[in-house]
Amino acid sequence: MTITLEVNGQRHVVDATGRRLLAVLRDDLELLGTKLACGEGACGACAVLLDGRSVNSCLLLAEAAAGHEIVTIEGLSTGRASALQDAFVAEDALQCGFCTPGQVVSATALLEQTPGPTREQIHEAMAGNLCRCGAYPKIERAILRAAGDA
Amino acid sequence: MTARFVRTQKELEGRYEDVWVLVDEADDVETWAPDADLALVGRPAPRQDGAARAAGRVRFTVDVHLAGMLHAAVLRSPVAHGRVRSLDLEAALAVTGVRAAIGPESELSLTTRAPLLAAEPAYAGQPIAVVAADTPEAARAGLDALALDLEVLPHVVDPQQALNEQRFTADPSDDARGDAEAALAVADVRVELSLDTPAHVQTPLEPHAAVASWDGDQLTAWVSTQGMFSAREELATAFGLRKDDVRVRTEFVGGGFGAKQGAGFEGLAAAELSRATGRPVRLVNDRHAEQLDGGRRAATRQTVRLGARRDGTITAIDADAVIAMGQGGWVMPVLIPARTLYHCADVRALTFPVKINLRAQNAFRAPGVMEGTAAFEQAIDELALALDLDPLELRRRNHTDVDQVSGLPYSSKHLLACYDRAAELAGWAGREELRASRGDGLLRGMGCATQIWWGGGGPPSHATVRLDADGHAHVVTGIQDIGTGTFTGAQIVAAEELGLPLDHVRVTGGDTGPNVYGPLAGGSQTTPSVMPAVRSASAKVRKILLQLAGDVFEIAAGDLEISNGRIRSRDGAIDAAVTEVTDKLGNATIDGSGSRGPNPEGFVVNTFGCQIAQIAVDPGLGEVRVERIVAVHDVGRIVNPLTASSQVEGGVLQGMAFALSEELVVDPTTGVPVNAHLDDYKIPTIADVPEIVIDFPHVPDANLPNVGSKGLGEPPIVPTAAAIANAFAHATGRRAAGLPLTRARVLEALA
Repeated sequence: MTITLEVNGQRHVVDATGRRLLAVLRDDLELLGTKLACGEGACGACAVLLDGRSVNSCLLLAEAAAGHEIVTIEGLSTGRASALQDAFVAEDALQCGFCTPGQVVSATALLEQTPGPTREQIHEAMAGNLCRCGAYPKIERAILRAAGDA
Repeated sequence: MTARFVRTQKELEGRYEDVWVLVDEADDVETWAPDADLALVGRPAPRQDGAARAAGRVRFTVDVHLAGMLHAAVLRSPVAHGRVRSLDLEAALAVTGVRAAIGPESELSLTTRAPLLAAEPAYAGQPIAVVAADTPEAARAGLDALALDLEVLPHVVDPQQALNEQRFTADPSDDARGDAEAALAVADVRVELSLDTPAHVQTPLEPHAAVASWDGDQLTAWVSTQGMFSAREELATAFGLRKDDVRVRTEFVGGGFGAKQGAGFEGLAAAELSRATGRPVRLVNDRHAEQLDGGRRAATRQTVRLGARRDGTITAIDADAVIAMGQGGWVMPVLIPARTLYHCADVRALTFPVKINLRAQNAFRAPGVMEGTAAFEQAIDELALALDLDPLELRRRNHTDVDQVSGLPYSSKHLLACYDRAAELAGWAGREELRASRGDGLLRGMGCATQIWWGGGGPPSHATVRLDADGHAHVVTGIQDIGTGTFTGAQIVAAEELGLPLDHVRVTGGDTGPNVYGPLAGGSQTTPSVMPAVRSASAKVRKILLQLAGDVFEIAAGDLEISNGRIRSRDGAIDAAVTEVTDKLGNATIDGSGSRGPNPEGFVVNTFGCQIAQIAVDPGLGEVRVERIVAVHDVGRIVNPLTASSQVEGGVLQGMAFALSEELVVDPTTGVPVNAHLDDYKIPTIADVPEIVIDFPHVPDANLPNVGSKGLGEPPIVPTAAAIANAFAHATGRRAAGLPLTRARVLEALA
């Protein structure tokens, strides 16, 4: 089944037959910033924005994403997302960096909805994004910093 | 270069070997004085590749996509022990898109010590066959077509059963000095503590992965590994190639934590299939395979008996450990804390490495020492209780500046300062008041634990530096940055020595192509091994630059100095940008190479530290909440406090999870792990994070070559679980028989 996906503001015609959005993004569109780490919806490394909400693209059938606005880490370089990326670097909110794209995506969605989040709101919004290196204390600081700078 | 060979002792995770080291006399740069006024070293700096990482632009092994690349899929044993009755490779090859299929009986071009694929799998998850196909979907269809038929054989996954049946992977060991039994018999006070520690899975978010591609008889392999040079060695040996005909690339690694030591099964299998098909092959573990076969810290059952005099002097240590090795692996030094943490003449340490039907255990951050500390440091707290002594005071009274095994002094040890600082930061003096009720129904407590690990590094380790006409330097290293920030550490050291601004120095690594050797990123050895080589190489370039500047400005080189990209004469007459000299180079470069010198003779190099945990226990729900961890570690000079604190936070959180939630659970009936997934193997989330307070004594080790730093990867994970368990005992008056402190274990302990 062929569908049209709108990713980072561009339209792409892709074969969606039985495929997850993540596979289409990585294998067809070569948007490699979005990672596959568990494939079980348990870690958030594959997070992308779907109409501004953070979703796990490893669990989403590609056809279900048709008609929605999809933004991947490659499409995040302005405004709040850019402030977040700067804050992640300044606070060292990343170690190996494998989960980082997903963290930035989820944090962007959080700040779009809640521009001045409390620590509890950060924990709530970011608990689906695992970081095995343990950058969490600094991820929290980076989000607070970006919220303050915005 | 004035070269000579020196015999020196090299240590990795507690294993010592004597090696010959090529020493260049010109590498002998003096260690920066503790009070030296350094522009960059010791000041926080963001990672040189931070922006690329935050933008998702860095490419990991799993992101390597080559033209014509095939996708491999692995058939793994569904049972703990079995024998392949039939496997239909022809049927797999008949599937559209399948280009190769290999099984235990296949003729392979590689040779390895153990068979690549198992005809008689001895653990669930062991590879039996591999298929390579045009697409991942076709590869999976190929696996289905294999129609594996297995005869199920009896398994043993219970360590106690394996011990009873004397199933060992290696001979049990008895590391004794003095007479522990006699000393115990006459001790004023005796305590005994037993503890089960869990199987702990590294769980890197980037799973084990490799992409292999041949060009004639030359192999390029992208491997998600902590040791690209060990991967090169392994591949060259397996395929009978010269090392120089194998290039391993591993610039970015999505975590390893010990689990990724060489080429691995993935590297070997991908290279084999690529050779057979003439096309690049990609092999990536899925999450279930990673959790089953990526590795783990082995479960242990430990017993510690201590004897002491009334004044708190420890007089006897008798410890034993049963290590649930799985199918093999090196025997982790679980009883090193018992043997070395405190002064004691009469010690016995018995280790039983039992063989069970799980994957061979492998390294996980502070292998052995962390789980050994979890038991031993709880026993020390029990002794403090029995003696009615403050737990920190008991530890101070048994302090030693001499390694208890070798009798040699430590190269440096500032543990007592760590105790004092940790106590101050944690509010240790108010420990008893903490137990008073706050009306929230929670029981609070505070506990401490001591850390010991190695971390002195050693040779060989090399670096080259090239300074360009534009005044920018490029440092080539042999390291792979698995998330620790070592590239940035090297950038700081090079820029300091060269007198250049930080952003005029770029560091690369992660590629064996240049043949600049660096060590495995493990054992806390990268910083102490690599930074001295980087500094030596930079010092040579600086020296040449000053000589050239002397020619340009017609002044003696000795009257010039460089800092922040400017060359100045001591009399102030000359103040010029470095480029006023370097721009005359044209396309030439100023080159320098450096190597890590030998380790100091007559010393033992270790790292030390103390952590204090404050926790709250909900006695109704059995929930343990860590409120604060104070971590103070003596690792010599801190090169970059920003990334150093990240290392500590990461270690603390992994140690906390070992204490509270992480445990690979094996079904005794089937012998198969039941939670080899991320949704049921519980690693911490951001919502679980306590306040983490970090400090370092910041005293360079004057006996280590030219930088005075020790490694920091391992130390912070070592004492966390013990400190939490001690805080639990302080809060509740009880100890759980095992870790992690799940609700079930907590409620059982409180019952």
